[in-house]
Amino acid sequence: MTPAGPGPAPGAGAGGIGQGVVLHPADPLTALAHGIGSQHDLPISPFYAFAGAFAALFVSFLALGLLWSTSRFRGDRSGLALPAGLQRVADAPATRTALRGLGLAAALAVLLCLLLGPDDPARNPAPGAVYVLLWVGLVPASLLLGPVWRLLSPLRALHRLLSGVWRPAARPLPARLGQWPAAVGLFGFTWLELVSPDPASTTTLLIALGVYAAAQLLLAARFGERWFADGDAFEAYSALLARLSPLGRRDDGRLVLRNPFHGLDATPERPGLVATVCVLLGSTAYDGFSDNPAWINSIQTSPLGRTPAATLGLLGAIALVAALYCLCAAATRLVCGPHPGPLTAFAHSLVPIALGYLIAHYFSLFVTEGPRTVIMALGTDNAPEPLSPLGPGALATLQVAAVVTGHVLGVIAAHDRSVRLFPPARAVAGQLPLLALMITYTIGGIGLLLN
Amino acid sequence: MTHDPAHPSGPAAPVDSAGGRTWCDACGTPPRAAHGPRRTLRTAALVAVLLLLAGGAATGCGGRATTHHKPGTSHEQASGSVGTLLETDDGAGHRLREVPAEGAPEVRVSARPDTEDGWNLQLTVRNFRFTPDSTGGAALPGAGHAHLELDGRKLARLYGPWFHLPAAQVPEGAHTLTVRLYADDHTAWAVAGKPVEAAVPLAGGPPGQGAGAHTHAPAPAASSPPASSPPGGAPPGESPQADRTVTIAIRGGKVTPAPGRTELRRGERVALRVTSDRTDTLHVHGYDKELALPAGQEATLTLTADRTGLFEVETHESGLVLTQLLVR
Repeated sequence: MTPAGPGPAPGAGAGGIGQGVVLHPADPLTALAHGIGSQHDLPISPFYAFAGAFAALFVSFLALGLLWSTSRFRGDRSGLALPAGLQRVADAPATRTALRGLGLAAALAVLLCLLLGPDDPARNPAPGAVYVLLWVGLVPASLLLGPVWRLLSPLRALHRLLSGVWRPAARPLPARLGQWPAAVGLFGFTWLELVSPDPASTTTLLIALGVYAAAQLLLAARFGERWFADGDAFEAYSALLARLSPLGRRDDGRLVLRNPFHGLDATPERPGLVATVCVLLGSTAYDGFSDNPAWINSIQTSPLGRTPAATLGLLGAIALVAALYCLCAAATRLVCGPHPGPLTAFAHSLVPIALGYLIAHYFSLFVTEGPRTVIMALGTDNAPEPLSPLGPGALATLQVAAVVTGHVLGVIAAHDRSVRLFPPARAVAGQLPLLALMITYTIGGIGLLLN
Repeated sequence: MTHDPAHPSGPAAPVDSAGGRTWCDACGTPPRAAHGPRRTLRTAALVAVLLLLAGGAATGCGGRATTHHKPGTSHEQASGSVGTLLETDDGAGHRLREVPAEGAPEVRVSARPDTEDGWNLQLTVRNFRFTPDSTGGAALPGAGHAHLELDGRKLARLYGPWFHLPAAQVPEGAHTLTVRLYADDHTAWAVAGKPVEAAVPLAGGPPGQGAGAHTHAPAPAASSPPASSPPGGAPPGESPQADRTVTIAIRGGKVTPAPGRTELRRGERVALRVTSDRTDTLHVHGYDKELALPAGQEATLTLTADRTGLFEVETHESGLVLTQLLVR
């Protein structure tokens, strides 16, 4: 018996236990009943990390010196109008109804799968539909087409159907509420995905989606349909990402093709905007470091129990991101003196950074689990194992490029806002705290890819 | 018992139509004044789209559609005309198929301790041949496959006369290994109301003996030549054939050593030697390999890291991450 010798010894588990022998020691329903995606991305090699960090620093300081000194972004006033015929089709009631029906039908299908399908994400497409097609899929959809969830939302469709039956008098929405409900909803969803003990089980999903839909419908019945714009977490998420879409709507209602910077500049400064962006950044960052064995160990050995410890971790990540932002806002105020909207004035410039994080963390999940979910939903037997189209090197390049590109876009957006808000003498100095913050976020984001 | 990829999608259709009716009820309320006809039209379009899409989508849910099975993947019990189907089953839902004693399938089994790990089982069959390529079809006389059970728990389906049973699959103590013959339609062959089967006693080795599962000295099985002493030669801490060996112990919900990363190059073989203080299941994500962990006994899962990525090694019952395989 030669250890590690050439040539297969008889038996000895050659090829693992699975060769010709299928062992089923576990109840099949419990198998794989945790999370979506069986594979995580490899840590990137330090070369990509250093290259990315250097590029981010270089661009940041280049931007300080070379970018324009008077504001160029015109928000919702800009854009090249699309042909009127196209707009008529897009705005036609039939199109809207069909889209709403599509969203409602998809939601119904997911509900049916949750109710009737097996409690096993390897055989039930519903968990993948929620965590991959909806949550991650909204990113590319919103980036390409604008705030699509507003059109597809089954909650809006249900609300319209229900308000035909029962329509209490709508009360005014308190202005102070702003996007806070969306921030809370996003936190709840990311908690469900990243922290809850059994995120992919049909019971968990049914309860979570049921409670969420009921709460949203009740609040919409109280405040009217405009509740959804800032109250529905997915709609706010989609609308925020759609700020970077080349397709937009101008002040005068025309559909336009525009420079995404203009759209980003028009991000409404609402209460809760900072919280929404910080939840997006913080939860994605938590997703990154929750893969780290040291973190896994500290959760598993925590005296608090696993779920409370992980909840604290998620809250801590969001709080850290938010605290850094508030610190930076205070520093800006200190350098430049008072200006309107001290907290929200630069919040829009974090949206591209959050987008970079989202792409870096969820790209391979989307391209492997997305098709798998679709194949499963179509009922194909023996679906092939999903493989990422990118090798480790290409994937690392894409991840670093996404984070750095997000950083660059954020720096440019913040620069333009800075030269608009501050007199030229203080505009450059006023950007410095924000630049430091963005570099921190970016280096942090790249560091998470390294671990 | 486990298996069967087939879940008939029976209940999907009625619920679907009920859903459609609900929407009709909703739109059946009197339309409000000004938008009357237009609104009705729109709602009708909405309902049509809904029904169409929900119907189409629902076919993909609630299990697989039964008409799209590849041959041999279905687990329906086809009603063949061979013998008579009895009402009794084998204890796992497979009905017995009675055939006359003359010319009926027969089976004997012998378990011979392997020099490295576990046992080599040999099935001697008469009036029977293994037909793995037609499993799932109708029952044909003298054809089918066998099931391997340890104390009534199914370990494997056998498609041939030889089988290697790893020691890790047999907990410490005395056990009975049973082999039973089944037809292609998953009914058990039976004579005089009794399934055609053979049993052999097995004794699992004590935990922690020797360097690992492969050095366990299995006590000799009854119908096999005895092998009294463990075959020596393996240096402790080395699993044969594996490039890397990771030894992990789970005690009281605590993983020792603390979860870390096992870095591998693609194509390397890794042996995971896991001792759990309670009965559990080891699962390697991505590779989807599973292994039963008997309480207190070391079990070894060997796999070839043929895909790159970061994969978690977990236990199912206690939900602990044991280590991560980092395959470059």
